[in-house]
Amino acid sequence: MSTIPQWVKNLKPAGPQGTELLQQERNKSSVDVEQLSNFLFTKDGLARKQRVLEILQNDKVFDKSQNYFAGRVDRFETALARAKKLRQLHIKHNFSQDDKMVANELISEPGPYGLHESMFLITLRDQGTPEQHEVFLRKAEQYKFIGCYAQTELGHGSNVRGLETTATWNSDDKTFTIHSPTLTSSKWWIGSLGRTANHAVVMAQLIVDGKPMGPHPFVVQIRDMESHQPLENIHVGDIGPKFGYNTMDNGYLLFNKVKVPHISMLARFSSVDPKTGKYARPASPSLVYGTLTWVRSTIVMQAGGVLARGVTIATRYCAVRRQFQDRDAPEWQKGENQVMNYTTVQVRLLPLLATTFALHFTGKAMMALYAASQSKMSQDAGKAGGPQRGAGPEETNAGSDLLADLHATSCGLKSLASYTAVEGLEICRRACGGHGYSSFSGIGPWYADYLPTATWEGDNYMLTQQVARYLLKTARSVLKGVDPNTNDTTLILSTFLARQDTGAAFDVLGNDSDIVAAFAWRASFLTFEALKHRDEQKKPWNSLLVDFYRLSRAHSQYMIVKNFYETLQSSSPAQEGMGTETLDIMHKLFRLYALHTLEQEASEFYTSSAVTVRQIQLARANAVMKLLEEIRPHAVRLADAWAFPDWQLDSSLGRYDGKVYEDMFYRASEQNPLNRVTIDPYPDSPTLFKANEAAALKSRL
Amino acid sequence: MPDFTDTLRPAGPGGPAILAKERDSSDVPVEQLAQHLFPSNDFLGRQERIVPILENNKLFDKSKQQNLSRPERYRLGLARAKQLRRYADQYNWEDEDLNVAQYLCDDVSPYMVHYSMFITTVREQGNEEQRSYWLPKIEAMEAIGCYAQTELGHGSNVRGIECQARWDPAKGEFELHSPTLTASKWWNGTMGRTANHAIVVAQLLVPKSAESKDYVNHGPHPFIVQIRDTQTHKPLPRIAVGDIGPKYGYAPMDNGYMLFDHFRIPHSAMLSRYSWVDPNTCTYSKPANPAVVYGSLTAVRASIIMHARLIMARAVTVAVRYTCVRRQFQDRDSNDKRAPEMSVLDYPTVQIRILPLLATMFALHYTGAAMQSLYENTRAQIDQGDFSKLAVLHAQSSGLKSLCTELAANSVETCRRALGGHGFGGGSGLIQLNNDYLSKPTVEGDNWMITQQTASYLIKRMSAAVAAKTEPQDEVEAACKEWLHQGHDKRSSPLQIFDSDEQLVEAFHRRSRYLTYQAYIEREVKNRSWNSLLIQLRKVSHAESQSILVTNFHKALQNPSSNLPPPLKAHLRKLFQLFTLYTLDSEARDFLKASAVSDEDLDRLPDRIQQLMAEIRPHAVNIVDAWKIPDFLLDSALGRYDGRVYEDLFNRAHRLNPLNKVTFNPYYTSDEIEMGGGDGELRRIVAKL
Repeated sequence: MSTIPQWVKNLKPAGPQGTELLQQERNKSSVDVEQLSNFLFTKDGLARKQRVLEILQNDKVFDKSQNYFAGRVDRFETALARAKKLRQLHIKHNFSQDDKMVANELISEPGPYGLHESMFLITLRDQGTPEQHEVFLRKAEQYKFIGCYAQTELGHGSNVRGLETTATWNSDDKTFTIHSPTLTSSKWWIGSLGRTANHAVVMAQLIVDGKPMGPHPFVVQIRDMESHQPLENIHVGDIGPKFGYNTMDNGYLLFNKVKVPHISMLARFSSVDPKTGKYARPASPSLVYGTLTWVRSTIVMQAGGVLARGVTIATRYCAVRRQFQDRDAPEWQKGENQVMNYTTVQVRLLPLLATTFALHFTGKAMMALYAASQSKMSQDAGKAGGPQRGAGPEETNAGSDLLADLHATSCGLKSLASYTAVEGLEICRRACGGHGYSSFSGIGPWYADYLPTATWEGDNYMLTQQVARYLLKTARSVLKGVDPNTNDTTLILSTFLARQDTGAAFDVLGNDSDIVAAFAWRASFLTFEALKHRDEQKKPWNSLLVDFYRLSRAHSQYMIVKNFYETLQSSSPAQEGMGTETLDIMHKLFRLYALHTLEQEASEFYTSSAVTVRQIQLARANAVMKLLEEIRPHAVRLADAWAFPDWQLDSSLGRYDGKVYEDMFYRASEQNPLNRVTIDPYPDSPTLFKANEAAALKSRL
Repeated sequence: MPDFTDTLRPAGPGGPAILAKERDSSDVPVEQLAQHLFPSNDFLGRQERIVPILENNKLFDKSKQQNLSRPERYRLGLARAKQLRRYADQYNWEDEDLNVAQYLCDDVSPYMVHYSMFITTVREQGNEEQRSYWLPKIEAMEAIGCYAQTELGHGSNVRGIECQARWDPAKGEFELHSPTLTASKWWNGTMGRTANHAIVVAQLLVPKSAESKDYVNHGPHPFIVQIRDTQTHKPLPRIAVGDIGPKYGYAPMDNGYMLFDHFRIPHSAMLSRYSWVDPNTCTYSKPANPAVVYGSLTAVRASIIMHARLIMARAVTVAVRYTCVRRQFQDRDSNDKRAPEMSVLDYPTVQIRILPLLATMFALHYTGAAMQSLYENTRAQIDQGDFSKLAVLHAQSSGLKSLCTELAANSVETCRRALGGHGFGGGSGLIQLNNDYLSKPTVEGDNWMITQQTASYLIKRMSAAVAAKTEPQDEVEAACKEWLHQGHDKRSSPLQIFDSDEQLVEAFHRRSRYLTYQAYIEREVKNRSWNSLLIQLRKVSHAESQSILVTNFHKALQNPSSNLPPPLKAHLRKLFQLFTLYTLDSEARDFLKASAVSDEDLDRLPDRIQQLMAEIRPHAVNIVDAWKIPDFLLDSALGRYDGRVYEDLFNRAHRLNPLNKVTFNPYYTSDEIEMGGGDGELRRIVAKL
């Protein structure tokens, strides 16, 4: 806009400038940003990010400056244009899968192809037969079939077995009839379904000879390949605006007795024989859970980065923002205090900074575990399954099966990691004071898009039951004398049993490995307590849910502390070039995460006798406060190591160069379409907008 | 357009049947409880009269507003604000009616600051002449105003603002000037597009004498300034003013920025009831007592707490009704394979999130009411310049504002997540509520900053009590004295919290005194730096606030004049215990350290809490019904009074959703976006960016 007067353009923020303040912060710290970034992402990963960033920045369609202003329909339209363009670039530049993931991270908005590219393709690949790959997958990979994954229904989310959509086998014409008997059976929340997809993988209750066989996946065409209108007897649309995710067309879908051919049922694991109409069960029930486990591991891995965005923004802004003079400061020290110097700010941000690394390392370790379980799983694939599909993998072969361990672990960690990231982002936003409320902070909109992660792929509270179930089962097997070295869970539970009468004396303030042991002790204690309630006192399952939630949380915190510790103890930091100074700070971050968590959960540590009340008091009054003071000078550099480009953060407050106020002002005065409108403010006049340059501008184009 | 979906019904049992059963099986008298909660000012009557007026005007239909862009949303907000004001004229509304109408409309109105801070400031800080000149224009809305205090670089610290008002004795004018970019006014509501006047708070610079070139800074003062032309509504020359852009919430409100370039205003612009610059001699006269502003601030904070309880009530109403209707999984211990799925509210993991909030609503209610009546009762003293009662009230109100807005803001999000996936959808009714309310923990005094005021006051009173030289100045000091007298700073035996409510309340007092004393030792005896104590001070403040909430809740139930029928009183007492024990449990360590409870009692707490929740659970629907939040305000498919949850969700998605009116071209090989739109569409989209 050209109406910004020159005298406004000439104004500078009152000094010291944000750029100077951030420079001072960076000068004060000896953390080697490059070393740490390389350790987190590898050199290749960072180079990839840079390469993809340049490609995206050169295309006007990815310009983010109007994202925060537009209405729902416009936002979706732009998101679709971006999705198409990204696919075109993918082909033009011959993107790898990793390039593609990086591009999505940089664009940072859910896109209309999102579920096609993830769950639709994965399900076709994992659950389809070679023949079905030929018919469905090939076209899907060419984006001729654009699909989604329709599982959740209006009335049912986490409880998959309660789905109402039916698929009835018709032996006479070898077809299935897909039907939605009630309003609550409407598919709901399905990403990419509302306006984009022409196909869907539909999870429906399979009925053969009048007998329900449980939920199974069917590939169904839902829209015409030419007109893109819904097919007859199919009713499909977008479910409307949401807290976030408004660039995605989450949809609803209803079927009025729609017939689909035999090949529609994805039949790699279970199938209906077209000749005999006989139903064959899946070879191993746990195979179906593989995809979900992978998704959860990814969520844990991403949670660290998600939170790191908020922490980066808040850390930089709190170093630039100054408020009040220090009450105790000497007279000559005139200026206002950097907000980051307030201990009330440090105690909110620095433990979160430590958490970003804790989650990242834990996610990495889980991905490795997943890869290991994949190869084991394919070896086991030939084994016969149980008589019923009722049990989840956490109940099969507890204490030995690698997948069981991973599945249980992934449930609890997904729950804790996404919860921590969600809570942490809001804490970061509030730590930015008033400006945190502006969209230009970059935290609010990011938070809104991330939020559903806390409820989807299994509600966080519901998931914790699976962890508890697994831990109880393992505890029973340990009591029966299973080999302690079977897996980590059996090991910590056996250790606890062996030592419970001699007691624990963990030196949590002096010895890092004792910290890990104290977390293991508390999780084990809670496991056996819960077991006592359930098996000896015969308490109802429902009355123990709160205990189970706490148990799951304790176990996941143990896993995080353990993985953080082991990552730093291993040879890899040194191998990948991290110097001792930086490593030393990382150890401090480990202690901050662990002791801050210990202090937050003090009563459980105390009740389990893992530590004494005196130790908790010392942890709070001395250890944590001292760590805050020691880490404070390195905060900006530690955040820098996450290597977020400004383009990705899209935040005035979190700019790398600290030009916070200039950027806030620029976005408000020059990018804001509302300022192109002159209004009539008087209640008696029916005119609302006197002149609307924005609309005039739009109509000229 | 009719289609096969019109005949579909939700799977049974339906929401209406479930809620009817919930309502039948509880003996909580809804109407009596409602009267108990809203006894004064005909709040319920006004609500009942105004809802139909708004429901009958399409302008106030909320079903599509979430889809709008920011400029469209502002436009809608402006149209509604104008209409409400015209209704006020048409129906001869009292101020309270307009307030209720705004509350029901649920927009953060573009006129909001005009009605509140702008007019209040002129009324309270203008001298007689200024008031008689401005108030008629303001009431007729010829002058539409805002309140410009906060700047880009300064919020809570008012003394740090940079905007200057320099007195020029030669010309007899002030010169308003913004020397830097960070001096830009920022966040000020109603200013971005709507207002033609502003109260501008600026550093008052006055020459030492009429001849002197040396200026003295007298600190921030308010000036009333015209900022836009009353005909064209364009900014006046030498003023740059505009909207600051999109926010987390507050979409219909035009929060603004404003800069001045040596902008000249007359001597009469400075609001001069309390301070004044002599135009001839340049003598500056100070306000008689700086505490004059405390009074209205305390009233504002009491109303913030009363508002917070209604926010919680909305969120909890939605959560309770939907978690009754929503069913998920069978009971694991049930042997009947065909047993229906359980109501989600029967899960203790859901109860522990929602039912303590249900109890907290009442805690906030009784404390807000107590503060309001305390303020009314001390008003006479205040008007006569006696601020002794006010000091303690003011100090307590800071901590309470911090705690209560935090509780309310977090409660909305906790409830939203307890709704499962649908909580994320627009039909939950909690999204705009959450977005709008989340500004509260940081405005009117950042929640983390203002706890220092409360803690500082408490430490002072404890110091005085330790010194024991004079009679206690107020009740806080008396309580400190008593605590010391009992020797609680040394050792004492725990209270029996399960024996009586009085002991329970006493436990909160004892723990607050204990924390105050610890802070006193750190600061006054060990001379620890203020900054290193900030975290501890926040705990001190919260402990005191929790103690006030518990005390007022207890007092209200004991109050014989409330005429509560015994069955209702028994229910309220359970809510009191739930709130109290739940709070105690989450802060258990402090209570233990303060010798306020025994270790054994702490071990018994979780079971006791779960038992209380089980007892309250059957009455949850009736209790939220008594808060009388109309469906029009809830705007929630999930929280509807009649329980027709799924029908409403589907209707919103299917029939009210503008995105479904467009058919898109999904294939990446084509640049066409809307089917039939042609390949030029991509250019159109890019042009908008």
